[in-house]
Amino acid sequence: MAEEAIGVEHLEKVYPGGVRAVQGISFSVGSGELFGFLGPNGAGKTTTISMLTTLLRPTSGRALVAGIDVATRPREVRSRIGLVFQDSTADGELTGRENMELAAGLFGMSLREARAQIDDLLASMDLADAADRRVKGYSGGMKRRLELAVAVVHTPQILFLDEPTIGLDPQGRAGFWEYIQRLRKEKQVTIFMTTHYLDEVENLCERVAIIDHGKIVAMGTNDALKERVGGDEVEVRLAAGAPDLTGELTAVDGAREVTRDGSVYHVKTPRGETLVPSLVKACDRAGVAVEGIRVLRPSLDRVFLGLTGRAYREEGYDEGRASSSSAFTPRRGG
Amino acid sequence: MLQGLGALLRRRFVRWTRAPTWIVAGLLTPLLYLLLFGQAFDLGKLVPANPLAQAGLRSAIQGAPDYFSYFALGMVGMVAVTSALFSGTGVIFDKQLGILQRTIATPVRRSTIFLSELLFYSFLVVLPILIVLGLSLVFAHVPGLVGLSVTEHVGWLGALEVLVAILVLSIAFTSLFLSFGFLLSRPESYFGVVNLLNLPLLFTSNALFPKGTSPGWLQSITAYNPISLAVNVMRETFFGTAYYPYPSYIYLFGLLGWALALSGLALLLASRALRVK
Ligand SMILES: Nc1ncnc2c1ncn2[C@@H]1O[C@H](COP(=O)(O)OP(=O)(O)OP(=O)(O)O)[C@@H](O)[C@H]1O
Ligand SMILES: [Mg+2]
Repeated sequence: MAEEAIGVEHLEKVYPGGVRAVQGISFSVGSGELFGFLGPNGAGKTTTISMLTTLLRPTSGRALVAGIDVATRPREVRSRIGLVFQDSTADGELTGRENMELAAGLFGMSLREARAQIDDLLASMDLADAADRRVKGYSGGMKRRLELAVAVVHTPQILFLDEPTIGLDPQGRAGFWEYIQRLRKEKQVTIFMTTHYLDEVENLCERVAIIDHGKIVAMGTNDALKERVGGDEVEVRLAAGAPDLTGELTAVDGAREVTRDGSVYHVKTPRGETLVPSLVKACDRAGVAVEGIRVLRPSLDRVFLGLTGRAYREEGYDEGRASSSSAFTPRRGG
Repeated sequence: MLQGLGALLRRRFVRWTRAPTWIVAGLLTPLLYLLLFGQAFDLGKLVPANPLAQAGLRSAIQGAPDYFSYFALGMVGMVAVTSALFSGTGVIFDKQLGILQRTIATPVRRSTIFLSELLFYSFLVVLPILIVLGLSLVFAHVPGLVGLSVTEHVGWLGALEVLVAILVLSIAFTSLFLSFGFLLSRPESYFGVVNLLNLPLLFTSNALFPKGTSPGWLQSITAYNPISLAVNVMRETFFGTAYYPYPSYIYLFGLLGWALALSGLALLLASRALRVK
């Protein structure tokens, strides 16, 4: 890993009322990484991000952002980071460009020095045409993109995003992430993001931490986390009326557990793709035609359930990269 | 630091210029006061024309040549309060919209945030005051209208003293209401408090009613009211020192004390509100 962008040790926040929102978490984010911070409502995501962005004082523990202690040198941290809040905070009475000029001024840039940068950013967020219109007339997606452009006008080293895509439709979300990827490529920023959306984390983040009740319950790469909960599942669909092949499929090397539902079989396995040829061969040998076959990766839902005993949503498996994009309400029990 | 202050002030002024209703209403208010209140009642008419009674009136209105001239300068104090009532609204709504939080997340100094609010809203107080003053001076030369007649020779120094008094009064009241903007977080609470303060501030001053119409205990409060202090500076400069126990700079210093205390309070509440918890 390259140098450390964020380093957190035993960070804790107890609110005045006594709520222990964050209970001694530790993690580190490498420079240039896209790090996902995932957890249900009230898990402590916003509290954590507020401490890292100097908007909230940690009760105990230490956080270094860009190598600087957030508690003792907050102004220096502020000039090196960008922040996209969950809610839009642009001034609706100002135009997009004026909002960006305001932000540039607050970061100590002169208008002359900021002008080219602002034009560039507005163009790359596809806001050039709307730049001189008042923000109150922007669509939700445009507002989010402006928020992003505002957050990076001073070229921060680290960008914090707190549930940045909430309220956007799936298309808007996909678009938003395209801009994020573009920013990463163009400006090499480190990104720390929180989200409820499992699919966003699965598809975008290199590493993920899962937080629940103020504690980190798991952390690692997507694949490593999935591995921990038991790998993939292969769905084999046979012609209707085919004989029972449970025995044959169970005998395939690498298959762990087979369940049958009519002519559809679910085979659990550590690595789905490599099992597909053997499963097809087994069916051939039994003289039964395979009508369809697909690999289901365990979603972070399943990971979450496995780690916390609570479900994020009903179904345990996602269809590969397909994205069901509802926000989730945690259920007790699971 | 200057970039930050400039950016914050620019935002306030741009918002202001985009709200014509705000501008027109703000500037129309003093005009209406002058035309309706001022032209409509003349206490002088209630007093018999004999020399003794007229001398009594002259003393009551502290040397002003007529009630309107007396009243016009009182109006400066009234306009200062009614215009300053809005000083905390910027902060209150920025809190509600999360804009304040976004500002705090930047390296701009907290004192710069405070200063930008103080400067912008003081401007919104000074502007209508100058309009009231300018118009009443002009009215004196318009046939058919009563106006502010200046009976003393006002030199450069006198004019400067009046301008300083206006500026300091504006800063004092802007700071007062700005304090509530930083202290409170809901518009409802803010307007409740503002409403509560508005009339008492005005009625415990000598802005509208001649000295001697109120009971003794109220008169001693009146003497220290910042509106009274500012109004005294102006009346003494325009109408002569005969009816005042102290020279005008004494009142000006008193006013300055108020401005320092109130802006100190506002700064304190601002730094409390902008502090990381
Ligand atoms: N200002 C506050 N005072 C007291 N308790 C608070 C405060 N802010 C948050 N909390 C509590 O701290 C806990 C964590 O809240 P936080 O906002 O960090 O969660 P979150 O993970 O961001 O949730 P969400 O997904 O709903 O945004 C919750 O129990 C919440 O009620
Ligand atoms: Mg949150």
